[in-house]
Amino acid sequence: MSAISPRSTRPRFDVNGWLFVGPALALIATFMVFPVLHSLWMSFQTGLGMRLSFAGLKNINRLFNDPLFFTALTNTFIFFLVQVPVMLTLALVTAALLNNPDIRFRGVLRTAIFLPCVTSLVAYTVLFKSMFVANGLINTTLINLGIVDTGIPWMTDPFWCRTMIIIAITWRWTGYNMIFYLAAMQNIDRSVYEAARIDGVPTYARFAFLTVPMLKPVILFTTVTSTIGTLQLFDEVSTITGGGSAGGAAGPGNSALTLSLYIYNLTFKFAPNFGYAATVSYVIVFLVAILSFLQFYAARERKA
Amino acid sequence: MNRKTVALAFASASLIAITAAQAAEVTVWCWDPNFNVAIMKEAGEIYAKTHPDFKLNVVDFAKADLEQKLQTGLASGVADGMPDIVLIEDYGAQKYLQSFPDAFAPLSDKVDYSGFAPYKVALATLDDKVYSMPFDSGVTGFYYRKDLLSQAGFQPADLQDLTWDKFIEIAKVVEEKTGKKMMAYDPNDAGLTRIIMQSAGGWYFDKDGNLAIEGNAALKAALEVVQKIQTANIFRPAAGWADWVGAFTGGEVASVTTGVWITGTVKSQPEQSGNWGIAPIPKLTIDGATHYSNLGGSSWYVLAASPAKDEAIDFLNDIYGKDIDFYQKILVDRGAVGSLLAAREGAAYKSTDAFFGGEPIWQTFSDWLSKVPSVNYGTFTNEVDSVVAAHQPDLAKGASVDDVIKAIDEQAKTLVQ
Amino acid sequence: MTTHGLKKRLASAAVYLFLAVMAFLSVFPFLWMVIGATNSTSDIIKGKMSFGEGLLVNAATFFSQVNAPLIFWNSAKITIIATVSTLLISSLAGYGFEIFSSRFREKLYSLMLLTLMIPFAALMIPLFMLMGKFGLINTHIAVVLPTVASAFIVFYFRQSTKAFPHELRDAARVDGLKEWQIFFLIYMPVMRSTYAAAFIIVFMTAWNNYLWPLIVLQSNDTKTITLVISSLGSAYYPDYGAVMIGTVLATIPTLFVFFAMQRQFVEGMLGSVK
Repeated sequence: MSAISPRSTRPRFDVNGWLFVGPALALIATFMVFPVLHSLWMSFQTGLGMRLSFAGLKNINRLFNDPLFFTALTNTFIFFLVQVPVMLTLALVTAALLNNPDIRFRGVLRTAIFLPCVTSLVAYTVLFKSMFVANGLINTTLINLGIVDTGIPWMTDPFWCRTMIIIAITWRWTGYNMIFYLAAMQNIDRSVYEAARIDGVPTYARFAFLTVPMLKPVILFTTVTSTIGTLQLFDEVSTITGGGSAGGAAGPGNSALTLSLYIYNLTFKFAPNFGYAATVSYVIVFLVAILSFLQFYAARERKA
Repeated sequence: MNRKTVALAFASASLIAITAAQAAEVTVWCWDPNFNVAIMKEAGEIYAKTHPDFKLNVVDFAKADLEQKLQTGLASGVADGMPDIVLIEDYGAQKYLQSFPDAFAPLSDKVDYSGFAPYKVALATLDDKVYSMPFDSGVTGFYYRKDLLSQAGFQPADLQDLTWDKFIEIAKVVEEKTGKKMMAYDPNDAGLTRIIMQSAGGWYFDKDGNLAIEGNAALKAALEVVQKIQTANIFRPAAGWADWVGAFTGGEVASVTTGVWITGTVKSQPEQSGNWGIAPIPKLTIDGATHYSNLGGSSWYVLAASPAKDEAIDFLNDIYGKDIDFYQKILVDRGAVGSLLAAREGAAYKSTDAFFGGEPIWQTFSDWLSKVPSVNYGTFTNEVDSVVAAHQPDLAKGASVDDVIKAIDEQAKTLVQ
Repeated sequence: MTTHGLKKRLASAAVYLFLAVMAFLSVFPFLWMVIGATNSTSDIIKGKMSFGEGLLVNAATFFSQVNAPLIFWNSAKITIIATVSTLLISSLAGYGFEIFSSRFREKLYSLMLLTLMIPFAALMIPLFMLMGKFGLINTHIAVVLPTVASAFIVFYFRQSTKAFPHELRDAARVDGLKEWQIFFLIYMPVMRSTYAAAFIIVFMTAWNNYLWPLIVLQSNDTKTITLVISSLGSAYYPDYGAVMIGTVLATIPTLFVFFAMQRQFVEGMLGSVK
């Protein structure tokens, strides 16, 4: 199989090859792989704080009897299944529209849509909290426009709370993904489009049959990174729904409790149980690994 | 975390102690720039007057950030870069003391605890040793808008000995007469539940720190009140802290029931001066019910591995343990009610406040402080609290309190281990 | 013909409407942030949408509580070192993985990608212990080190390198250029737009990085602007006016970099097509 692949004509990894990848691999080994293995070792231990003892598979057993873990798992999947497709579709469509050289103010529009991802977390949080309070800007506007009669219970109803979080993440990251698509589209040879246009291929078909297939590597890339980001979702849920003086729920009825937030709570908010927290974090590792594999696999299938 | 690393960390820390004995710089971690950070700096200046070599380095972080740093530092056993003194919220005291044995220095040999509010001492005691220098109190009060309540036909005298049922009745009248809700309430926060529960001497745990959800009369009564408040719809829903604060500073609600540390915030609206009053919080009708409770509050702890441990303890004991004048100053400047009972004999505590219609509110609060029922916050308050908060919306939907307690108990059991 | 023209005009109106709404929604919060910087805390909480007169008061509060020059210098130092070294080391690796092949290549590459899947919360404690062993706690090097070898950026460069024309490389080899010369003299200039996009992303991440600096930096004089804003916002009664001043100031550098790099972006695109 490798014999017929075009890559086999490339040079073998020699001294040069190692010099190119060496520094990155050495750093990743020291600051990622080693701590990850350490944390794997910790996942076989249990106890509070420094009073850890070997527990074997006890933590995995605890996982299956932990209702909060299942709440967090369900919530994480809801966010993943709804948010990632919505955001990436929006980003791709926006990028395609903006890539048309006939559009006026392209630079301004592109800059504007990218802006959200340069905000700091603090600003963004204060902002969304104040916009979505019961008698805040969003509800007032919706009532004035006659879209709803009474304010939407953003902070007190699980469905609306999750919706709000999805809106917030989508707001922040759509422009970011759009930039990847735009950059990739700019590398596509314009003459292909021109030829298709002259042949009378309609806009949507050019988008579906020319742009999307050519963007496949980038689409795969953004899908994988967004999957990783959403499965590790922490910042937004923690700061937007965070509040109370001691414990407090993560959104109404823990509707915004994600796996990462649960890990954080187990490590820092609750009496620290590092072993169990490490076990939960490996659940994320497995989920991401499986989903990324499926995505790579799906992308390969289409190529054939 | 193996013992060897810990031992090594402690050994290296004591090595540093020998070399650093000359320069007594004490580093403190705390979290509120307008409150405990400013107060700690003030304390440092006072102490430096009699101890010219003393240098205090106060570092402020967000509270959640500080807890995270502290927990990472303690867990990794790296003494490097840890503070000498750290502020810990009272609910988390036992969590730290039990999770990181030997990480904090016991102070009971140096400090006379008989002068402090008993509940503050009890919460930092482990195996007969006390580890904290008690700091601010979260003694609770019922802050109400005199103008709105009198418009609804209630005078201050009518509000001194309320039950929660009476409170809800009044709330309905207030809304009818003034169009304003009685209170702001965030159903995702269990603060009010904790206040009511502790007022009757109950907590999520029994005196020995064991989980006590089912059969806990105080918790049950508190959840019943919370359910009545929600179903009677006497509250303006609040989303998070800032929104909750905005509700009463913005004049949207007629009262707020919370810890004394809110006084400064209430007073941040000068145009409402003279319109506010305080009363004891409403009471439950079960055995052991009182008008006194606590919300939040925090204390100072000294790290055992600190090279400047002795200076730190001496400093805390001199200022926070004895200096009555210091307590007057932080009361006037910052609205901080300390838990040293002798401080209430000072002049500032006897002063009256025009904002509250000339009432001696500080004297009143410190009287209530000495009556707060002491409970065992245990190791897992935050765990159980997050479960309780998650179930409060069910109460609004009409779930029976017994069912909710059963559900809380089930979830709490898996978390508390 | 007229219906066709009308249709076309409607379609283009729809496109503009869509883009305008997207742009408005994206920019609106920034407007709100700037407005917030001129209002008092209680007006901010009420969601007041007009400019107030509190700008000078808020700025005075912010600058009295924060040693702004030092804090911004700390952030700038960390961000610049992190950005330059990340781009260099990660693009070298991305190029290396795509250009050279070996029995181990895909295995090493997958292993590296696996590290992307670890939630940071699980790494924090082991990583902190490691930094303690190296004696790097409370140093800016400790903030930068774990971010330099970014599996994410390596991945991005490898994906982009697939579009790098191999003829260029082959021609360069025929001309007798060494591997490192090919990389620095041919690959880097050709991949300008890729570098520009990566620069924006890495800069932004480093500038806004929060959780790890928080853990590893311990004293007031090493803190970054993000940490300072967070601690200002955590008071029992936060001064949101001052927080807004801080966030506006903290946003300016990322905006600046984006605007500066955007040009590169467009030029890079025009240059690389030919």
